[in-house]
Amino acid sequence: MAHWDRGLQDRLNFLWIACYVGSAILGVRLLHIQVIRNVYYARVAESNRTQIIHQSAPRGIITDRRGRVIVTSKPAFSLIYLPGETQDASRIAGLAKSLAKELREDSESLHEKLKEAHEEEAAIHLAENLPLKTMFKLSELKTIYPGVDLIVEARRYYPNGATAGHLLGYMGRMDKRSWRRLRAKGYRKDSWIGKTGLESKYERQLRGVDGESRMEVDAQGHLKRKIGESLWSPGANLHLTLDLEMQKAAEEGLRASPSGMGGVVVLDPRNGAILALASTPDYDPNLFLLSGNERPKDYLKNLPEFNRAIQGTYSPGSTFKMLVGVAMLESGVKPDEKVYCSGKFRLGRRSFACLKKTGHGPTDWMRGITQSCNVYFYTMGLRAKGANIERFSKMFGFGKKTGSGLKGEKGGNLFGPEARKSKKKGWYEGDTVNLSIGQGELLVTPIQMAVYAAALANRGTLWRPYVVSKIVYSDGTEEPAEKAEKAGVLDVSDDTWDLISKGMRSVVTNGTGRRVNIPGIDVRGKTGTAQNPLGEDHAWFVAFAGREGEEPSLALAVLVQFGGHGSSAAGPIARRIIETAFAPREDL
Amino acid sequence: MKSEHGFIRVRVDWGLVGAMLGLLAIGTVAILSAASPLPYYSAILQKHFLALGVGTILFVFGMGFNYQIFQDQSKVIYALVILIMIAVLVFGETQRGTKGWLKFPFFSFQPSEIARLGTLLVLANFLDRRAKSSHRVSYVLGAFGVTLPVMALILMEPDFSGILPMFPMLLAMLYCGGANLAHLLAMGSYGALSFALPLVWTMLSLNPDLTQSSVILESFMRLREFDVPFLIAIGGILLGTFTVFKLMRALRFNAPTPIFIVAGVILSAGLASGVFVDHQLKGYQRNRFVAFLVPEADPRGAAYNVRQAQVAIGSGGLWGKGVFSGTQSRLGFLPERHTDFIYAVIGEEMGFVGTMAVLALYMLLLWRIVHAARVARDRYGYLVCCGMAAVTAFYLLVNVGMCLGLVPVAGVPLPFVSYGGSNLAVTLLSMGIVASVYSRRHAFY
Repeated sequence: MAHWDRGLQDRLNFLWIACYVGSAILGVRLLHIQVIRNVYYARVAESNRTQIIHQSAPRGIITDRRGRVIVTSKPAFSLIYLPGETQDASRIAGLAKSLAKELREDSESLHEKLKEAHEEEAAIHLAENLPLKTMFKLSELKTIYPGVDLIVEARRYYPNGATAGHLLGYMGRMDKRSWRRLRAKGYRKDSWIGKTGLESKYERQLRGVDGESRMEVDAQGHLKRKIGESLWSPGANLHLTLDLEMQKAAEEGLRASPSGMGGVVVLDPRNGAILALASTPDYDPNLFLLSGNERPKDYLKNLPEFNRAIQGTYSPGSTFKMLVGVAMLESGVKPDEKVYCSGKFRLGRRSFACLKKTGHGPTDWMRGITQSCNVYFYTMGLRAKGANIERFSKMFGFGKKTGSGLKGEKGGNLFGPEARKSKKKGWYEGDTVNLSIGQGELLVTPIQMAVYAAALANRGTLWRPYVVSKIVYSDGTEEPAEKAEKAGVLDVSDDTWDLISKGMRSVVTNGTGRRVNIPGIDVRGKTGTAQNPLGEDHAWFVAFAGREGEEPSLALAVLVQFGGHGSSAAGPIARRIIETAFAPREDL
Repeated sequence: MKSEHGFIRVRVDWGLVGAMLGLLAIGTVAILSAASPLPYYSAILQKHFLALGVGTILFVFGMGFNYQIFQDQSKVIYALVILIMIAVLVFGETQRGTKGWLKFPFFSFQPSEIARLGTLLVLANFLDRRAKSSHRVSYVLGAFGVTLPVMALILMEPDFSGILPMFPMLLAMLYCGGANLAHLLAMGSYGALSFALPLVWTMLSLNPDLTQSSVILESFMRLREFDVPFLIAIGGILLGTFTVFKLMRALRFNAPTPIFIVAGVILSAGLASGVFVDHQLKGYQRNRFVAFLVPEADPRGAAYNVRQAQVAIGSGGLWGKGVFSGTQSRLGFLPERHTDFIYAVIGEEMGFVGTMAVLALYMLLLWRIVHAARVARDRYGYLVCCGMAAVTAFYLLVNVGMCLGLVPVAGVPLPFVSYGGSNLAVTLLSMGIVASVYSRRHAFY
């Protein structure tokens, strides 16, 4: 021991012990966080360094009846943001500003998005489906702002543009209601979902399982490397009954029509398969997928979403005359009975005009239908009675939806004594006269008219129209989506069918439908010119066709809204479709 | 009492050297790992190994040199310390807002490190010379007076964390030197007041509801400024102590008069310097306090560093993630990873085993320094070793405590382990002096 002062050693010892006690506390704390709570901290560290990037799985492909692609997916660049640990507010604001310029979006809303990403500590999509030009500019930005990254994703693509747009529907962002419904089913807040049409109806099947990349990121949000990933699996493919060529023909025809507005439905009369379903004006579903700076601003506001083929209801006009014919012939009228047409028909004090002011003279069934003589049908309609016509209207499926299952389909409006009764109003003979030529309160949709045409073609079978023939899952399993299904059978004598069919053939060969007379093809149809109080007449053409000597293989209904005469406005469209349908094909 | 053991064995404390080598080895590995993702990695390594070399030379030099020369040349050392600190204020280079670096052609260093060692040596001499009057107030005040100019110069840089080790050093040396406990207590309470008041004010300003609901707390908040309420408070304190003094006299309760004078002075001075410190506190320093007091308040702000350090240490587990494999440190979540938070890197990559090894090596080191103090042949050597032990223990407790969230972030390094050339070199020189005290423990040879 040193000689100088023994007493001071106690003080040193006390300090020394104090140090050891302090270190012991550190040791206990270390034991606590490193050994006891290790699992918790390890998890925090792991979530610090990993960022999950979701990769949208490609949706299922939609093909037509011949396997031609109508809707597919193609790779597109998306801009994502990985929130780093830096919470520098001015940095985020700067990023929002720079991005707003490149993406041509509102910098405020971008800023909100970025802040949200930081709060939720999750990667978000800032922009999708970026064009190449923008992408190159953005990849420069990427070097300045850590956390910004470009990834490749499968994006919906409609190679034929607006073709079948109304039927297919379009994709859109998740709204609040869908989010509540879908959040438990593997959807994310920035997922795209089918909003309308088949995209919406078959959302569950079309959507695949999204992939996940687990990326290592540093504190600034730079992607370092991939730690792990689960691959996406694509959605199921839909096979449609649609025929792409006929669909295009129908749309081109409608666009070229006098008003450019209308609807076409083409069915296979043997099973109800929809071969074409068109409505104009239409829109290109690709527009919804464009990134912000490419999307036309006003376009989406006045989107022509109204699908005339299934939602538009119109008076059938003279195309209704086959039904009146069925009712008339079935109630005992002989086809050779003649009615004298003077151009006018008097009922009490009211007068009803014929199309031909000078009159058709003595008119029997064949002449009546061929020339579309109103006076003949006024007379015979009264003979058949309004109640009978209404009964057949119901049997042909008018007044209710066809059961196609397409969203927004309308059922139209029945017209007859019974319908009047339910509204507590009376039925008068004048109403029967109106109904006999398809006027009055009777309202039908083009798809109902197509079903009607198909029933005329197949002699009495009412098919439920359908458009999806099968669903093929990514693992190869198939599932028939919709089957041919009878919605009803009409009990009508063969003689009547023969007369109706002959009459329709005569319309095409000698009457108002001559424009649709195509050599080699047995087209049978009827024009219609429906008066309406809103403006120009609606032009109709209802027909079925088959190769000569074969049974009819298509039935169609063409409507041109405010198109004028059925023969001049709707006829050419029908001709175009039928020609396309029977044109010699290279692939057959 | 001459030992019969071999010469080298007696003169060199292998326990001390072993502990140092162990710490240096762990520290070097941790720096190699922690700094590797940095762009200036090779520069860091160069400087570190240079400092290691210089430090080793200084250690050997310190050990071979008779420490008593430092006592003889006390005045020179003191003059050099003051001079170098003035020099840094004049010629110094500013880094991170602190003018604390002297730059030379091939290296630069922080004079405050060497100044602290110099102050320690000068202080030991002062306390040794005044040992006979250690019971007097002048012993404590004098020691304080010796340190004050150096502290003031360091504060002028300004380097707040640079003066932190001076307080435990001063207190420990006074305590071990035999100062009157009452005097130490008085000085301690003055120091405590100057630091506690800003802390309390900061805390209260975080809870405006609290201050608005209470008149007492609100008027307490007003004392923050050198203003009328402040003067009233000083007057109140002096009047209060005088009243108590008179009251005691009247009750024939004989307490020594100086107690009251000292109490009054300490309370007033404590309040005054409390206000002063509160004004001097920088935003980030105040944030550190806040982060320590209420870490939940802003987990991504000031508390972020501490939080990430704990996550790093905690995620290391028993064996660690392996050197060069710590995600927290390598991906930049851990701030200051090769300097102040190096202990968190060790915790993450070497696990509980690594952190405990560092603690154990430090315990061994402290034990050997304390042992050197015990066996020192004169009071000067004893006091020098006491100061060294205090500084080392302070660094350990504050730095590790900071990484573990037990102590506010103070920006102090972990000697031997943290990257930092000046600190490493001076620490090794200090240990050399301790070794010199140990090797010259026998009064006659």
